[in-house]
Amino acid sequence: MDGFDWGAIAYAVPYMLQGALVTLEISVLAMLLATVIGLVMGLISASDYSVLKAIIRAYVYFVRGTPALVQIFLIYFALPRIGLELSSFWSGVVALAFNSAGFIAEIMRAGLQSIDHGQTEAALSIGMTNRQSILFILLPQSLRRITPPLTNELITLVKSSSLLSVISVTELTRSAQVIIAERFVPFELYAELAVYYLVIISVLSWFSEFVEKRLA
Amino acid sequence: MSARPLLRIHALSKIFSGIPVVDRVDLNVMQSEIVMIVGPSGAGKSTLLRCVNRIETPSEGDILLDGVNMAGEIRNGRLVPDRPTVTARKRRHIGMVFQRFNLFTHLTALDNVAIGPRRVLGMKLADARALAAEQLARVKLSDHAMKKPVQLSGGQQQRVAIARAMAMKPVLMLFDEPTSALDPELVGEVLEVIRALAEDGMTMLVVTHEMQFAREVGTRVLFMDEGRVLEDASPKEFFHAPQHTRSKEFLRRLHAVME
Repeated sequence: MDGFDWGAIAYAVPYMLQGALVTLEISVLAMLLATVIGLVMGLISASDYSVLKAIIRAYVYFVRGTPALVQIFLIYFALPRIGLELSSFWSGVVALAFNSAGFIAEIMRAGLQSIDHGQTEAALSIGMTNRQSILFILLPQSLRRITPPLTNELITLVKSSSLLSVISVTELTRSAQVIIAERFVPFELYAELAVYYLVIISVLSWFSEFVEKRLA
Repeated sequence: MSARPLLRIHALSKIFSGIPVVDRVDLNVMQSEIVMIVGPSGAGKSTLLRCVNRIETPSEGDILLDGVNMAGEIRNGRLVPDRPTVTARKRRHIGMVFQRFNLFTHLTALDNVAIGPRRVLGMKLADARALAAEQLARVKLSDHAMKKPVQLSGGQQQRVAIARAMAMKPVLMLFDEPTSALDPELVGEVLEVIRALAEDGMTMLVVTHEMQFAREVGTRVLFMDEGRVLEDASPKEFFHAPQHTRSKEFLRRLHAVME
């Protein structure tokens, strides 16, 4: 390829590795938060706590109905107003978790509801409460089913972390943009950026397949 | 044996979108009675059974198990409905076996039986499993304790389901067409287990299409049609001298199918 600037690519490697590390940190923290909160909300959605269910429905409605970018700005500017002075890093973690947890709650709820109703009836018939039947019967059976959609959601989360460049978190995308501004080699750097994301997400997919097999 | 019925059903109705699927049913069941419930499909047999342990919520009427109202407590002459946890506690005393087995797919046969004592009665895992092993031995499945439901035949699955219900030490067992989903050659082993329970004095309501079995094992036969109990007789009376035109018709059709 004519004039492909390999030098710029090599020059960017250490900077982008640093950015990748930040992306990984933010993503892993947000994933943990989102998964825990999302799964709990999904469990509640399948239960009979009507007030909590209504709150979760409203939350999911908002998360689904607004762009992630808008949510990131909202959280970044809203948190200081309620007295929470977070760094842009932690604002980013909260924003991504806030977004993903809504979708994960829906994945969990759908997973629980996809289990044959006879399982619930059998659980009730031996004297389990609704909560016991969700925890001990439906949840273990739905974990394997939700692994593929959950993986998709976590992949989306990693990709959405690139949006955090707008609140000046120096994650992977922003570190590439900094070098682009410096050396003016956008094509090379965005190509390199794509490879970085591909590697991170491949590892994630591989891990998810491993988990799915283990749950079989 | 007490003179009071173990199970009292009074004016029980279940109405689905305006249609009474169970229609003002009265029934008293004494301890150790084996009540066979027969009738055409859509007669409300299964719904009646499912109302007894409140898997289905009755629209009207009362169900008393050993004098305890399954729906709630009477205070100042009014029924105060139970909270769900109380309903769950009352349900423990009634075992149920389903047409489609409904074994917990993620658990071994042993843990299917052990999970009730473990999680509902709060037994230690080792004790719950020991109890489960005992119950599996009763249905002659000790060799299959570590298998998952998918690895078992329909007949074996249904026997595990019976052991699962029995592990809760119920005072009443409900069987909802326990052999209807089985291949013909597997029906016998399940009926054998139910017969053994009957001989041990377990009180039971059995919805069934196995007339031979109903005649041999039942102490009483109920014939239901369109939500009503049309006949309540001893097996001998019912099969030899049915009173109602509908039950005569039902038996005639069955005989025609069998010949």
